[in-house]
Amino acid sequence: MTFDAPFTIPFTVGCFFLLVAIATKWIIWLVRLPRTDKRLIRRNILSLETLKGVWEVIRESLLHVRIFRVNPMLGFMHASLAFGWFLLILVGWIETIAYLGMEWVPLQGHVFFKYFMPVNGITEHISLFEQLMDALLLVVLIGVAMAWFKRLRSKFMGMRRTTKHVLFDRIALSALWFIFPTRLIAESMNAALYGGHGFLTGSIGGWMANTIPHETLVTLYDPSWWVYSSLLCLFFVALPFSRYMHIFTEIPLIFLRRWKLRPTAQRKSYDNFEVEACSRCGICIDPCQLQEDLGINDTQSVYFLRDRRYNMLSLKIANNCLMCGRCETKCPVGINLNTLRLNSRAKRRNIPHEGRYKYLQGLDRSSGNGKVGFFAGCMTSLTPGVQRSMKEIFDAAGDDVWYADSEGGVCCGRPLMLSGETDAARKMMEYNSDLFRKHGITTLVTSCPICLRVFKENYDLEGIEIVHHTEYIDRLIASGRLHVEGGNESYTYHDPCELGRGLGIYDEPRRVLAAVGRIIEPQHSRRDALCCGSSLANTVIDDGQQLRIAQRMTRELEATGCDVVVTACPLCNKAVNRASSRPAEDVAEVVAKKITK
Amino acid sequence: MRNLNFGYGISRPRAIDLDNNDLRKSNDIIAEMPELQACIGCGSCTASCTAGNLTDFNFRKLHTAVRRGEYKGAYEELNKCMLCGKCRLVCPRGINTRALIMLIKRKLGDF
Ligand code: SF4
Ligand code: SF4
Ligand code: SF4
Ligand code: SF4
Ligand code: SF4
Repeated sequence: MTFDAPFTIPFTVGCFFLLVAIATKWIIWLVRLPRTDKRLIRRNILSLETLKGVWEVIRESLLHVRIFRVNPMLGFMHASLAFGWFLLILVGWIETIAYLGMEWVPLQGHVFFKYFMPVNGITEHISLFEQLMDALLLVVLIGVAMAWFKRLRSKFMGMRRTTKHVLFDRIALSALWFIFPTRLIAESMNAALYGGHGFLTGSIGGWMANTIPHETLVTLYDPSWWVYSSLLCLFFVALPFSRYMHIFTEIPLIFLRRWKLRPTAQRKSYDNFEVEACSRCGICIDPCQLQEDLGINDTQSVYFLRDRRYNMLSLKIANNCLMCGRCETKCPVGINLNTLRLNSRAKRRNIPHEGRYKYLQGLDRSSGNGKVGFFAGCMTSLTPGVQRSMKEIFDAAGDDVWYADSEGGVCCGRPLMLSGETDAARKMMEYNSDLFRKHGITTLVTSCPICLRVFKENYDLEGIEIVHHTEYIDRLIASGRLHVEGGNESYTYHDPCELGRGLGIYDEPRRVLAAVGRIIEPQHSRRDALCCGSSLANTVIDDGQQLRIAQRMTRELEATGCDVVVTACPLCNKAVNRASSRPAEDVAEVVAKKITK
Repeated sequence: MRNLNFGYGISRPRAIDLDNNDLRKSNDIIAEMPELQACIGCGSCTASCTAGNLTDFNFRKLHTAVRRGEYKGAYEELNKCMLCGKCRLVCPRGINTRALIMLIKRKLGDF
């Protein structure tokens, strides 16, 4: 048995190229990992996590469970293509063994088995293989048909918008679309000329034998295999430069993530794995309010990752994102979209010059004394009602409180970080940390989710517990130190991005509100909550655009018919207030009015 | 008489020579951010400024001077800003002041 036929050459070349290209990419990325990341790999590679990784690869890379969860139609399309193709290869391989025993067969022998072994139906179980292979081919073809259809009408697939592609994507995509129909034709011709085959290729073959003249079939037979092989070659060659690289990038990514590697505020080699693991499925487009409310169509995560991958990321695209995290929660690959966006902003020279923020030296405008510290933050200083209410609450609970910045303080540093000036932000962080330590607080309460996030994620405040004011109020009520009266008012609570999706704090503010009234949930809440549009992370959209996002969000909040719209972020508060006819309130303000005794 | 303190001072008189100032960078800045021309000089940005509360940094004065081609010291002065964004929230003309700060620094600075 020989497996040489000239038409297999394109396929073999393509395969070889693909292998080399992927190996090169992986090796370069791995070698360039920072030392700390390499240490993490060494420490975790021999652990249970690796086994769990194997399972996750099967679940995500083959079955695409997470896509199913977000969008079943799209999940089916991806799974039928990926898993179907995988099974075709696997079952095809077993089929060869069933035929030839454990004899060594070169790769092209497996892939083009029908060409080399045209006579079929020798035994029962082999004809079973024929049926199985046909069934799998059908599954993949349905996936391809859905992909075609998705291009035509994305609504059908439960998506309002589908992704725009670059050249290599188009080449690979076109090849992929035609690979399986061509395979169907080639195998059917095989059936027409030699008989046999399963229900699909067999019957199409039978039909061909009856309608197409024998000579035509003979002349077209070899070319059809040539086309099939060449399409495979084209796909393999384009793959490493197209979005299909995600197939092979997601696998190492899953393991690296299991070994606890994460992207950081500074770019590093690990980012390559995340960036190229994006399949450009486009699921992240629909949740983006910049798209929905403002019609901005070039900055969603899928485009941002694409631009970054091909080194054509503009400052504007990097900056045009609210970092609301709505897309991140939906991304089936679990890419850390916010962090990648953040580290794209890191300036080449973000080292602050020597004298920068020298004026912070020796500064201390804090007041009061106590183990509990309250940090209002810049934004809260623009919502004095929140500050006043917090003071009333602290007083009612009998807490001694140290006020870090009631007479003017220093920013928490997150706004600078969000603009990529991480080193400058360090100076604020050092200043504030020293201040907290100097005053010996053990609990730090802040009413701004933006500050809360940076305190928790970037400060080193060991020994000081960091809580949001809603968490603190919740505890005061639960422990009986703060007495509030219940009432009939209805509240609709807006989950601030940084507090909810950012830090996972959803229940505490709701518990507090439930203690003083009724809660009516808006259409989008918790992980799905809308962003107010005022996010400090976005420096591109203008005032009018911010307002439009706020208006749409506020409309939705007010549609519940609630008495008061409540937020837990001073910035959201401002945004709702601008867009609404009646004032929004902060959780603290609501509670302060309900204090009894 | 000289020791009386009213809590504010009087700016020393100075002349801005628009004919001799190099307005190229200023024009660049305005071209990228035309909304800056809507500034009414109300000073809300300065009044709310976190950095201005702690130092003599004066954002309104600074961006007004830059617009008129007076760049000297502007970059260093802007480095006092913490990008906190309060000025954007209070500006009655809805000027994207945070983007303006980053823009001026990009045009006048070295990165
Ligand atoms: S970022 Fe995630 S959701 Fe968006 S296209 Fe890529 S894989 Fe899909
Ligand atoms: S983080 Fe928000 S604003 Fe940014 S791309 Fe995702 S959905 Fe859009
Ligand atoms: S202000 Fe609130 S809703 Fe708006 S971006 Fe920030 S956290 Fe999100
Ligand atoms: S962003 Fe800068 S200029 Fe604006 S208020 Fe904050 S510190 Fe002042
Ligand atoms: S607040 Fe706005 S309008 Fe007023 S001076 Fe500042 S930039 Fe100009």
